[in-house]
Amino acid sequence: MAWKRRLAVLTLAFLPPALVFAVAVRAETAPQPIRFSHKVHYTDNRIDCRFCHSAANKSQYANLPSVQKCMACHRSVAAGNPEVMKIAKYWKEKKPIPWNRVTELPDFVYFPHFRMVTYGKIPCLTCHPGTDRVAAAEQRQEFAMGWCLQCHRSRGVSIDCWTCHI
Amino acid sequence: MLDRREFLKISGATAFAALFGGCERMPQKLIPFVIPPEHYVLGESLWYASACRQCPAGCGIVVRNSAGRAKKIEGNPLHPVNRGKLCARGHAGLQALYHPERLGRPLRLDGPRGSGKFKEIPWEEALNLLLSGLKKVRAEAPSSLLMLTDPMRGHRNLVAARFMKGFGSPNRVAWDPFGQDAQLAANEAVYGVRDLPEADLAGTRYLLSFSGDFLETGISPVHYGYAYGRMRQARPTVRGKFVHLGPRLSMTAANADVFLPIALGTEGFAALGIAHVLVKEKLTRAAGNASALWEAGLKEYTPEEVGKRTGAVPEDLVEVAREFASNQPGLALAGDGAASCTNGVFHLSCVALLNVLAGNVGKTGGISFPDRLAPFSGRGAEAGLLLPPPGSGYEDVRDAIGKMGKGAFRLAIFSGDTNPAFTLAPSLSFREAFLSVPMIVSFAPFLDETSSLSDLVLPTPTYLEEWWDDIAPVGHGGAVTFGQPVVPPYRDTRPMPDVLIAAARELGGPVASALPWGSSRECIEKTYAGMGIRLEEAHRDGGVFPGKEAASRPAPKAGKPSLPQVSEASFEGDPARFPLLLHVYPSISLYDGRGANLSWLQELPDPIATAVWRNWVEVNPATAAKFGLSDGDGVTVSSPYGSITAFLVLHPAIAEGVAAMPLGQGHTRYGRNAVNRGDNPYRLLPSASEGASRAPARQSTRVSLARTKLSGALVRTVSTEGQWLYENIL
Repeated sequence: MAWKRRLAVLTLAFLPPALVFAVAVRAETAPQPIRFSHKVHYTDNRIDCRFCHSAANKSQYANLPSVQKCMACHRSVAAGNPEVMKIAKYWKEKKPIPWNRVTELPDFVYFPHFRMVTYGKIPCLTCHPGTDRVAAAEQRQEFAMGWCLQCHRSRGVSIDCWTCHI
Repeated sequence: MLDRREFLKISGATAFAALFGGCERMPQKLIPFVIPPEHYVLGESLWYASACRQCPAGCGIVVRNSAGRAKKIEGNPLHPVNRGKLCARGHAGLQALYHPERLGRPLRLDGPRGSGKFKEIPWEEALNLLLSGLKKVRAEAPSSLLMLTDPMRGHRNLVAARFMKGFGSPNRVAWDPFGQDAQLAANEAVYGVRDLPEADLAGTRYLLSFSGDFLETGISPVHYGYAYGRMRQARPTVRGKFVHLGPRLSMTAANADVFLPIALGTEGFAALGIAHVLVKEKLTRAAGNASALWEAGLKEYTPEEVGKRTGAVPEDLVEVAREFASNQPGLALAGDGAASCTNGVFHLSCVALLNVLAGNVGKTGGISFPDRLAPFSGRGAEAGLLLPPPGSGYEDVRDAIGKMGKGAFRLAIFSGDTNPAFTLAPSLSFREAFLSVPMIVSFAPFLDETSSLSDLVLPTPTYLEEWWDDIAPVGHGGAVTFGQPVVPPYRDTRPMPDVLIAAARELGGPVASALPWGSSRECIEKTYAGMGIRLEEAHRDGGVFPGKEAASRPAPKAGKPSLPQVSEASFEGDPARFPLLLHVYPSISLYDGRGANLSWLQELPDPIATAVWRNWVEVNPATAAKFGLSDGDGVTVSSPYGSITAFLVLHPAIAEGVAAMPLGQGHTRYGRNAVNRGDNPYRLLPSASEGASRAPARQSTRVSLARTKLSGALVRTVSTEGQWLYENIL
């Protein structure tokens, strides 16, 4: 019976942090400082994702556009929009826009965007579904390991542990 | 064993800790740039070529810039001085760039003078203060303006020199504690050329070094390190032999095939002993024709006589002389340990005499004197401002201190790349004299012992954030190095030349017409564009590097060698009271002390003592036994000029009767990494000058040791003493 006791002890020891972690992952996104709509930019005006997320094909991170880049268009486009005027205020004060994180991946996973975008030719919406239809971005796909592996297997990509956990 | 109850307690605590701290989420704010840096691409590295200014060697660097930040400094493979290599001090430049104690706003004195208490003020107010001071001085007495800087080169120096000339003040002083005055004087006496030579280590077959620590702290350690590697390994059938003579087993000496320990201050006599054998046995053609030298007194310096003076074994000297002659081209070098004795020029002249007797002047594997200012031959007298003679400026400093005491200066402009309040002997009373100047304005990236004496401190960028140019003192005649910002300025700083140009414009008159540019960048670009240099390519490569060196100038005196004026080294202090000779040397990591605020350099173990973060004094075990001291003891080191404390390090290869200390530690004001790291050995030194060149004579005092209690212990990475006991050396 010793192994059962050990199992119970281990479960008790590790369950609370696991629960806490699960809660953390499912936390809701805080409201953004500017009501930015992916739908307006991507679906209505057909601006490519990589116009703003310009490092998605080169870097681990997809990159957020600088305030300068926002203003490159919005100096003239929809300049009277109240949300655009908020951007103009940041630009005038030369302050960065403090965006809230939407998509979150645990830090024990190494996920380089450029591998998926450049070499995998994976469309952005595969992992960020629905972003083209909603006003405010939210994480609609939970990045569970089974979901990742399903795609890796179907495309014949390595499922070695250290492919993602390095 | 852990019982279940205890385990559950611990696991509960773990869960609790995880709940409130251990399982922190990733940063929830994503902050983009307002304006991204130029050429910024996330995930792509950019390499900018620039130049290093961590010591005066002038190496070329390339800096990896990723996501707008400088991430790594490497040597520039195209640069002829360092060929892609870089030393630890060069690598640590990043820490200077991102140092949390860097000054980011101008500071105005906010307490008693010298207290180091300042308050931040806007640049406009600071510039107004500087301008009003300058205007007042110019109206009353322009010559009462003093400018005290490090020995600058390139157009930084040209701007400073033109500013002072246009302003009407001759009082410009450049201080470098390790200036090459003795080398210049000796070269003038022996070769007839007052310049630093190119020593072709890579092409030589036999290298004789007299206290020349060229691999660690000499004129250009990376250049010589690279050449040394080629001397040893780049030729398929020749491996150059290296013999080192000196009082201490330095890292360079530890690399030698043969280390011959000699007494402190006897390098010149050892060289004369070798010269005696060369001439007596007519071992080279030049030595065979040197009967005049023999009659002038060389015949008296027999190996036996020299052995008595130096402590060297006479047979060793004879063998070295014969090997030196039969392995041509050979090369003889001397370093700071010999140059900074009271008779440094004598030592260096005797060593230069060996090169003349070997007949290697102007030859491959020997000594040559290329015209480093050849690219600027059209600039006339001003070309000299781009590469001033690399002297210490000690006489000028002493002269300025005397004048300060008499109230000759009303305004002092100080550049914080040098630190005279730390590196000058205390008997010169620099601090008191400097504080007697009514207004002191410093240009400095950090507050150190000297800049904290100021009334106004103007923060300057590091060398990684400004436009500048440089001409290396050795390494390649004809190469010009370009420095460029590798990152946008990290703090609100302005380069000193830019401020001087702006001040000159406001002052008007001759000083404005002397500096007719809008900025130092414009000054540099206009000059080089006028010379037909393609600036974009030059900045891409890090400079202009002609494949072939400028032609060597003749050495008119090398054909007629004469015996150097013999003089003995003198040491202050009563031998009975101060029985040991003090040997001080620049630290491989901290140099003259300027690296002490960088933790990477503080934690770099000394290659010989393996000590980090503190000061030590190195003596022979036999010497320590006479004082009843053992390894690791705290000791008080006393000279006639002061006392400091340090930990004792025993080393069997240091000459007996010598106490050796690295310079660089002992700061009182240079940030938290630099202060409280032991005492400053400069405080033990007299203010003596080298007899002929007037350079500071650091190897000129006696000391005594006494046990004392020190808090903590010297941290060393290896117990070298244990190793020696194991190998029966001690």
